[in-house]
Amino acid sequence: MSELELRLEELGRELAFPPTPDLAPAVLERSRKPFAWGRVGVAIALALVALAAAFAVPQARTAILRFFHLGGATVVRVDTLPQATERSHAAGLGVPVTLQQAQRRADVQLLLPPGERPSRAYVLGDALVTVVLKAHGKPVLLSEFGSFGPGSLQKLVAQEANVETTRVNGAEAVWITGPHAFEYFGRNGFHQAPVREQGNVLLWLHGDQTLRLEGPLTKVQALQLARRTR
Amino acid sequence: MVDRPLDEAGLVERARGGDLDAWETIVRTHQGLAFRTAYLLAGNASDAEEAAQDGFVKAYRALGRFRRGAELRPWLLRIVANEARNRRRSAARRERLALRAAAEVRPGDAVPSPEAALLAGEQRERLLAAVESLPDDQRDAVACRYLLGLTEAETAAALGVRAGTVKSRLSRALVRLRKTLEEGRA
Repeated sequence: MSELELRLEELGRELAFPPTPDLAPAVLERSRKPFAWGRVGVAIALALVALAAAFAVPQARTAILRFFHLGGATVVRVDTLPQATERSHAAGLGVPVTLQQAQRRADVQLLLPPGERPSRAYVLGDALVTVVLKAHGKPVLLSEFGSFGPGSLQKLVAQEANVETTRVNGAEAVWITGPHAFEYFGRNGFHQAPVREQGNVLLWLHGDQTLRLEGPLTKVQALQLARRTR
Repeated sequence: MVDRPLDEAGLVERARGGDLDAWETIVRTHQGLAFRTAYLLAGNASDAEEAAQDGFVKAYRALGRFRRGAELRPWLLRIVANEARNRRRSAARRERLALRAAAEVRPGDAVPSPEAALLAGEQRERLLAAVESLPDDQRDAVACRYLLGLTEAETAAALGVRAGTVKSRLSRALVRLRKTLEEGRA
């Protein structure tokens, strides 16, 4: 270890940290309450009115968004979708690279359905990896990133869109149909402005990873593909 | 029969089965480091408390996905660190890190001359300011690895990146710190 590294360690021992609060009582109180996706649905409904008024206020918006968290993704229902460009498949997905390069750049072990090995992957903001697959004869996008890593994916869904909770291999999942937009906040301040999407979307968790399947699939077809993606 | 404390794996198994006493023991064991990690990453005490609390609640709900035999501490830190970084993104302020007033003399140390103590204090302040001026990804790596004393593997887990990424961020950070300190001396 160099002298500078030793000095940094010494510095750490001399930092004036605020006293650690006793977290246990609040954590235990909240841990006692079962987590129910049905309650999130109620929270979405209750928050709608407040959201419309608060959406323009960054602090309020942040507070409300916490209700709709799924791994590294957030689903927000809005009165009006933001100004967004229309996106076709494979457009605006990021930089095209090989699968290996994508995994290295995004620090993610890509999960794929058996037998699928696309030659190309797209990396957005050095954290979100997307591949184009064919399922039931239709092109679909599969995007992945580490749930607990940097970056977050945001789904803005219109009032008329349908959002329902479901499960994939026992893990929480969300199925979205109808008008919605995709927004992405990556590492080091990277921001992909909202892009309007037309396909149906399934968001789900696999371990620490958040996955998103987008395309013209039915819910049953999307769930079948998601269950095989490991 | 001697009532021996359970090891961590046993506590995790009990907590996984809904035993909140076991979970409380785990929370109390790790809350200090979790809060300090969140403080360095979020940048202020109130966000750090909220991030650590939310992190523990999420961890409890995710215990079913915790891999048996894995180390608990890096896993917990990863969840808390992610909460802290999410808050930093929307935080309006970051508190300046400060040194303890008692840092100049610790029990057992030879008492330095006033001039030497002043010089050492200034050097530490300069080093701290240099660390604060690093880009976020390098600052986070330095904070976890050196200021908190985590291993490289724990740092990688906390930041959600590979060990190789931690190594390269630390390497770039050390080069930048040396340059900043040398420029300050000139």
